[in-house]
Amino acid sequence: MADWVPVAAVQDLQRRRRRLVQVGGESIALFMVGGRVFALRDACIHEQRSLSKGAVLRDRVVCPGHQWQFDLETGWEEDQERCQPSYDVKVEGDTVYVVPVPRIRVTEAGQAALGRS
Amino acid sequence: MTRSVAIIGGGQVAAVATRTLRRRGFDGAITVIGDEPHLPYQRPPLSKGFLQGREQAGDLVLLDESWCSDNAVELRIGVAVTSLDAFSRRVGLADGSSVRADSILFATGGRPRVLPGITSERVVYLRTIDHAVRVRDMLQPGSRLVTVGGGFIGAEIAASARTVGADVTMIEMLDVPLKRALGQNLGEVCAQIHRDHGVTVLTGEMVESVRDVPGGVVVHTAAGRQVECDLVVVGVGIEPNAELAEAADVAVDNGILVDEFCRTSIDGIYAAGDVANHYHPVFGGHVRVEHFDNANRQAAAAALSIMGRRASYDNVHWFWSDQYEFNLQYTGHAPRWTQAVVRGSLKARSFTVFYLHDGVIKAAFAINRGEEIAWGRELIAARATPDPAKLADEDLDLEGLVPLT
Repeated sequence: MADWVPVAAVQDLQRRRRRLVQVGGESIALFMVGGRVFALRDACIHEQRSLSKGAVLRDRVVCPGHQWQFDLETGWEEDQERCQPSYDVKVEGDTVYVVPVPRIRVTEAGQAALGRS
Repeated sequence: MTRSVAIIGGGQVAAVATRTLRRRGFDGAITVIGDEPHLPYQRPPLSKGFLQGREQAGDLVLLDESWCSDNAVELRIGVAVTSLDAFSRRVGLADGSSVRADSILFATGGRPRVLPGITSERVVYLRTIDHAVRVRDMLQPGSRLVTVGGGFIGAEIAASARTVGADVTMIEMLDVPLKRALGQNLGEVCAQIHRDHGVTVLTGEMVESVRDVPGGVVVHTAAGRQVECDLVVVGVGIEPNAELAEAADVAVDNGILVDEFCRTSIDGIYAAGDVANHYHPVFGGHVRVEHFDNANRQAAAAALSIMGRRASYDNVHWFWSDQYEFNLQYTGHAPRWTQAVVRGSLKARSFTVFYLHDGVIKAAFAINRGEEIAWGRELIAARATPDPAKLADEDLDLEGLVPLT
């Protein structure tokens, strides 16, 4: 298990609700929604546009390139049946930490098993 | 209850409806009947990456044989549907066979509108992958292309051809391309992008004839201009493939008429995608939309409707167009408007234009501002009446203008 890396101050995220950070060669988009922090790979799996420039609608971030909508928690794109890599993220005190190892939370088969599709 | 579904058409709608039916647990028979001799494939890349050689035919496939076999989907490709008996819901095929189903989905799309009286071998249309292969194989540095029509398809073809180094002349009937969709000023912004990338843009010009000459053709315009080229690609819109439905007494008016649940005038018969002139609750009337995203979403809505899980299809339409280094996006439906509000800079080609009719936001068009299109879509869905000054004010977040529901 890789280590937690401090990447941002909570205060910064509260102000702008999003932030692009570079950690260990990964460009990670952080989002704050309803007091929670989410971390997705910044480069969209579709055509590498920057998700940190996207609109956050409810529990999803909308890629500015072609309006793919990724679940902030899992990275799942329901219409495309594809998953944006996400990262483990936690807040301790005034600091946001991530594990800069991308994870695929949901696969098509997994999604079907969850009955959410 | 529906135990079997036959889908007429083998494109985006057929693929998405089929996948949706299986994903949502439909376990009856599904038959997909497509007249093209290809597995269902995506069309948007045909004028973009595929035309530029960046994507290959295999990359575009939406449903392959192994998926169909694993999911008990019967795929009948390369065979046209020749008849439909609407009451027994039996579909007759060109090979003499027939398919009966409890529900029929029309996913027949459209066909290119043709230039009357013009028949040269070097005049092609762009709708199918076979068309696109023909254009792609001819495009190379220095080859001479004429695009007829300066709409979004014509513009994408022109941009793709310039990207691979061809010489391009665009012939547009209106005095400004895209004038009806975007207005005079915005149409001019789009035309200038093409001029800046080396396209000769001829406006207010009609093609009168195309004559074969050794090694090419000469396009003659009504104003007397002559343009010699290797290939003419025509993109002047499509006609909905609604004849089969009409012959079966399904109500047709500018495509197949459907309600917000994708239901036609005849029980058990549905339509979605380019062919479907659908009642749209947000715009309060019928709209027929010839775009990929609508085909996707309406196909899913039709599949659910067929399964009896009805939800009103009220998606705010959206499409994109990638041209050169620019990402163009449009959302909503504004056949007319009373005010166009610009947010950003037309000169810098980074802006969103909001189209309002009597104060209600109906549509938005953006260049390189996809995040604002996402908010525009929310505003349109909410039938919002935002203060135009606030829409234009880049210091204010658009999010704050979306009415709370």
